Amino acid sequence: MRSVLLFVKISWRNLWRNPRGTLLTALALGLGLALLLISLGLLDGGHEQTIAAGVRFGPGHVVIQAKGYQDSSSDELLLSAKVVSRVEGFLQTAEMNKLVRGVSPRLLATGLLSSSANSAGVRITGVISQDEPAVSLIPERIIEGTYLSNDKPSGVVIGADLAHKLELKIGSRVVLMTQALRPPGSETKNGAGDEMQSTLLRVSGIFRTGLQAVDANIINLPLPATQALLGVPDGQVTQVAILLQQEGDSPMVARALRKQLTGEPVEVLTWRESIPMLAQILGLDHAFNYIMNGVILAMVGLGILNTILMRVLERRYEFGVCKALGLKPRQLAVMVIGESLALTAISLALGLALGLSVEHYFATSGLDLRWIFKAGLPPALVFDPILYSRLSSNRIIWSVSIVFAMATIISFYPALKAARTELPDALKAL
Amino acid sequence: MVLAEWAVELKDVRKTYRTGSIDVPALRGVSLQIAAGEFAATAGPSGSGKTTLLNIIGGLDRADAGEIWVAGQNLQLLSSSELAYLRLQRIGFVFQTYNLLPVLTALENAEFTLLLQGMPARKRRERVEKLFSEIGLAGLEDRRPAELSGGQQQRVAVARAMVTEPALILADEPTANLDSAAAIALLDVMEHLNRVTGTTFIFSTHDPQVMERAHRLIRLRDGQIASDETRDRQDAGVAARGDAG
Repeated sequence: MRSVLLFVKISWRNLWRNPRGTLLTALALGLGLALLLISLGLLDGGHEQTIAAGVRFGPGHVVIQAKGYQDSSSDELLLSAKVVSRVEGFLQTAEMNKLVRGVSPRLLATGLLSSSANSAGVRITGVISQDEPAVSLIPERIIEGTYLSNDKPSGVVIGADLAHKLELKIGSRVVLMTQALRPPGSETKNGAGDEMQSTLLRVSGIFRTGLQAVDANIINLPLPATQALLGVPDGQVTQVAILLQQEGDSPMVARALRKQLTGEPVEVLTWRESIPMLAQILGLDHAFNYIMNGVILAMVGLGILNTILMRVLERRYEFGVCKALGLKPRQLAVMVIGESLALTAISLALGLALGLSVEHYFATSGLDLRWIFKAGLPPALVFDPILYSRLSSNRIIWSVSIVFAMATIISFYPALKAARTELPDALKAL
Repeated sequence: MVLAEWAVELKDVRKTYRTGSIDVPALRGVSLQIAAGEFAATAGPSGSGKTTLLNIIGGLDRADAGEIWVAGQNLQLLSSSELAYLRLQRIGFVFQTYNLLPVLTALENAEFTLLLQGMPARKRRERVEKLFSEIGLAGLEDRRPAELSGGQQQRVAVARAMVTEPALILADEPTANLDSAAAIALLDVMEHLNRVTGTTFIFSTHDPQVMERAHRLIRLRDGQIASDETRDRQDAGVAARGDAG
């Protein structure tokens, strides 16, 4: 124990034989950790924002649909009014209510929207005007007019690209034509389900999300009008989209809903299942980021290996003397590893101070990416161009552990070199 | 048969170094006995085998052939870790260059080997302070090597070698980097410790002034003993002081 304390003392003092070199090395390793923390914070923050926006342009964190809808995308697969009512009732229980931010039943179909100037195929989303804003981002992205409301039963909200194509303005009249839905089991002998239906609507609002697929295709209209147009009985919808307070609760809420709806012909999906492409893109981004961080750490690690190795080689004579005095190879190795760990401790302190300071700035003030877009910045972006960092304590512990483990492993080789100092050759070094 | 009174006994010790494809014989059959408590010097020109001889006696290097007995043990039969243990417990080293650990103070350097032996702090400190005052280092305990003169550093090295109370001290040209006054002062210290403690000293030198101080002078030439001269302890000291004066 006493000799361990001596080795710690020697290791610590050895570090300060060359304070500038020590500080530079510590700064290099610290910078590696700081970069890791900052990039992980921005990555997680960016992903959080992407998911937040992605699910709000899509079916929410959790979606309930008729069984088979995800695979077939058949608009004829509908949820019954009883299921919708059970879902809404369950989500209003005290346990669920605190987790849920918004619930919006939607009826989806495809149709043709025509103005006096042009026609375009559209994706019809029938919504309850007071429920949809709690789930979807479209109501927040209105750039002209207003979103749907009860006093405008024949109002329609369209994207800016669609408005441009059909040469529509607020108050313009449009005709929406679609095929009446024929839910399984509701076929009529005379084929009434195949009839084309149309309705006259008036543009009440224009939105711009920045997503071309949304701005050129999606239209929102009141659920009662949509049900009437599609010939769907009152209360039946395609999906119930649920937005949660925390994305992390998605699997748990989905599980609870599946349990609640056992026996019903429904599928309860988290956003990872309902928007698999988004999940895959984020996964790919994570993988790429890990590789980049690995490269950064490897470069920093090689720098540190070089520094520690140089320190060891410079002190070959000193190690020779220690060995001549009776120091065992293991004790020499402990001395070098101790020195490396002391250096790592300084580096981690520097890295944490630097990394967490910058991360805190990005978490509160954000990283403004608008300079990248310069003059071409669209008036409304899909995702906020100001990126806010989010760094969990798990990420910090993980990062520190990785850097610590790397520095420890790296110190083994120089330690081995020191332990293998050959006598009497080392004593001739000077 | 090895007699117990020999601190060191060598029997036909041979050592050859290989430089590229050339064999360079360093020791060619050296046989030698050094009694406990001797104050002996090995002398000879460069390449005569002085340092190799000390390295082999100290277990820092291994002979190609022959027997080396130190403190009753045949070094040829010991493993590397057994040799390290023997060095730590029974042999003290003083090197030509000032080989103190630069990050430790004079006191910490001197107590380094005691600490490795596991001696408690108070006992260590007492022993080092007593030795320091005996060899004129009192008051310099907290100085780092860079703050000491060459002579002082070498005395700290002697203190480090002596503090474990070894059976044998090996000093490889300990005065080579010192001026005459510092060299004489160091020899005074070594001789004093030899006289008071009875520790065996073997040191190498090519300095005639230092040779004069040895009680026994073993001259080496081309890896062999050229002469082995034992002198009266008092005569050696007087002769040297006369030279110095």
